[in-house]
Amino acid sequence: MTKSPCSSLDAAVPSATSLDRRSVLKTIAAGAATAVAMPYIRPASAAPTQLRALMWEVYAVPEIVAAFEEKHKIKFAPTFFDGNSEAYNKLRVGGTKDFDLVQADGFWPGLYFREKLIRAIDYAKIPNTANVFPVFKPDRFKLLTDQTTGAHFGVTWCWGSYGTTYNVAEVPKEKVQSIEVLFDPAFAGRLATSARFEENIALTGILVCTRMGTKDKPRPDGKPFNPYVLTDEELAEVEKLLIQQKPLLLTRYNDNNTLQQLLESGAIVAAPEFAQTYRVLVQKKAKGEIQADFAHQLTPKEGGLGWVDTWLVTSGVADGPTLDICHDFMNTFLAAPNMKKIAEVAGASTTIDIRSISTPEEQKLFLMDRTEELSTLYQFDQPSSTEKWERVWSRMQAA
Amino acid sequence: MKGRAAPALFLGIPTVFLVALFVLPLLSMLVLSVWRTENYHIIRDFNLHNYYVLATEGAYMTFLVRSLTMATAVSVICTLIAWPVAYGIMLYGGRYKLLFTLAFAVPFLTGEVLRIIALQGLLGPVGLLNGVLMALGAAPLRVIMYTNVASAIGLVYLYLPIVVTVIYLSLLNFDQRLIDAATIFGASPARAFFEVTWPLNLFGTLIGFALCFIPCLSATLAPRFLGGPNGTLYGMAMAQQFGESGTWALGAAMGVVLFAVSVLLVVIVAKTLDLRRTGFTGFGRG
Repeated sequence: MTKSPCSSLDAAVPSATSLDRRSVLKTIAAGAATAVAMPYIRPASAAPTQLRALMWEVYAVPEIVAAFEEKHKIKFAPTFFDGNSEAYNKLRVGGTKDFDLVQADGFWPGLYFREKLIRAIDYAKIPNTANVFPVFKPDRFKLLTDQTTGAHFGVTWCWGSYGTTYNVAEVPKEKVQSIEVLFDPAFAGRLATSARFEENIALTGILVCTRMGTKDKPRPDGKPFNPYVLTDEELAEVEKLLIQQKPLLLTRYNDNNTLQQLLESGAIVAAPEFAQTYRVLVQKKAKGEIQADFAHQLTPKEGGLGWVDTWLVTSGVADGPTLDICHDFMNTFLAAPNMKKIAEVAGASTTIDIRSISTPEEQKLFLMDRTEELSTLYQFDQPSSTEKWERVWSRMQAA
Repeated sequence: MKGRAAPALFLGIPTVFLVALFVLPLLSMLVLSVWRTENYHIIRDFNLHNYYVLATEGAYMTFLVRSLTMATAVSVICTLIAWPVAYGIMLYGGRYKLLFTLAFAVPFLTGEVLRIIALQGLLGPVGLLNGVLMALGAAPLRVIMYTNVASAIGLVYLYLPIVVTVIYLSLLNFDQRLIDAATIFGASPARAFFEVTWPLNLFGTLIGFALCFIPCLSATLAPRFLGGPNGTLYGMAMAQQFGESGTWALGAAMGVVLFAVSVLLVVIVAKTLDLRRTGFTGFGRG
């Protein structure tokens, strides 16, 4: 078969026209797709337009956030959570791509780092880390350092305990020095605990292990005692004790406002909390707004729970401008004047030494001379088996 | 063609909507319920352990029984209150009928959390009620502070407007002349009500009851904020699995059980009643 040039050309013309149309359509489609995707596809070297944080709401102080946004011409986009497990769940289901910064406390940052949910950071770019109290320096506070590589993966921020706030006129000091006060029938109907299942079980676990004499004995895992790692026998005793405690409780509070109202009204006389409500009550007393006197037992004699809030950078953040912004964000928030504002707003003690800009009353109220007590506290951690702990909590709730 | 396309379009869109937003999530829940979790990790191996736990751990059965009791009590109370209210609006509302009905929707202009927190303020130890009592020198009412009674009050407050609206709409479509006919033929007002008005509005009443009962069964916020140490209901326990405890697979199994119980109850009611005698007009003339 012989093809004439003409016929060949004829055949080629419509084909060329068809290809052109397709090309045009493809170009339009690609252009549209690029236009739509452009805001989401940014080269790693480009300056970020927003900084996304997964954090506790109380720490998002508008004044500091606004100044930071202005300085970097960036939008700070926070998402709030209630507890570590909630943040952990969010990070594990793709949150490392959705957030640049995340907050956590206790042993949780270490877990995040082991699971590659967060990345290493550079303390040299966060000079304010040098101003932390000695107990929070990396040589003593080891929860933010990878023991194998020595890499740091977080900065400390605020700290506290899960101590007992109590009405001084109603609860004798010698009683509140023990966790037993939360299980004392003498205060039936006038006690409350938080609704957090981990801390209820862990705190009761300290008491149970003290009573059983297992706290200071060698542990099955060969490690020092950790109230978040309890044996089945200890958990069974915890369950019994929590069930005995139920009739003594007026409620399990869900938020600090409720706890404040309960204490203020005299409906309850003692409750374990993060000392934030205690500080609000003391300040109200100083202003003459309430009559009752409240005090806070930081560490019970059996041992108590403690926490150190931290800022971490997610593994979704690559080296470059976003990481630089993250470093500067942490450094800005750790500046002493900003930490003072945050302490006032959140009612939390800071890990940064702000004594030089605080009054003696503030130093006492925010436990600035008691930071060393942190080393005696058991840090918040992940339960050894959330399934077993959930059963204990459910059985207690149903009892 | 137009005649064929319209039903397909009007039924097709809701079907797609239901499949995408109801059936698929339910199926995913079903799948999740036969997996397991281990310290916040989902382990994808097929097993029925979660259902075994639900069947053998008395706690979850206790939560379910508590929720069924609470939902029944709240729905009955709502229905008992809603009937005279709706009937009153119907009889005496005059030209303000619509206004009265809309007034019941006012609480819906705020979120459920806000309404519950407002109620917590009302019933709590420093709430309005106890504040007045204490100001008068009386002891505070402990029965409404963090108890199941407080939860029930909260749930009635949340769902009463729905029940009133549904019963009112049923009465609105009810032919009042039937009552006139009954009284003309010698029936007392009470007899006319129980033999004409009530049965012919039973379907509307059941819908109102169901719209209160089903959400009460899975209520989370009211028991959490008002219920106190003994107030944990099934929905609250289920939410706990998806929250801090991270035992999602068990939570999914609880959700499947709750769905099955709800469907079972609806089927029982449907089998027990002859819908044709309840004022239901959806069967057409056939």
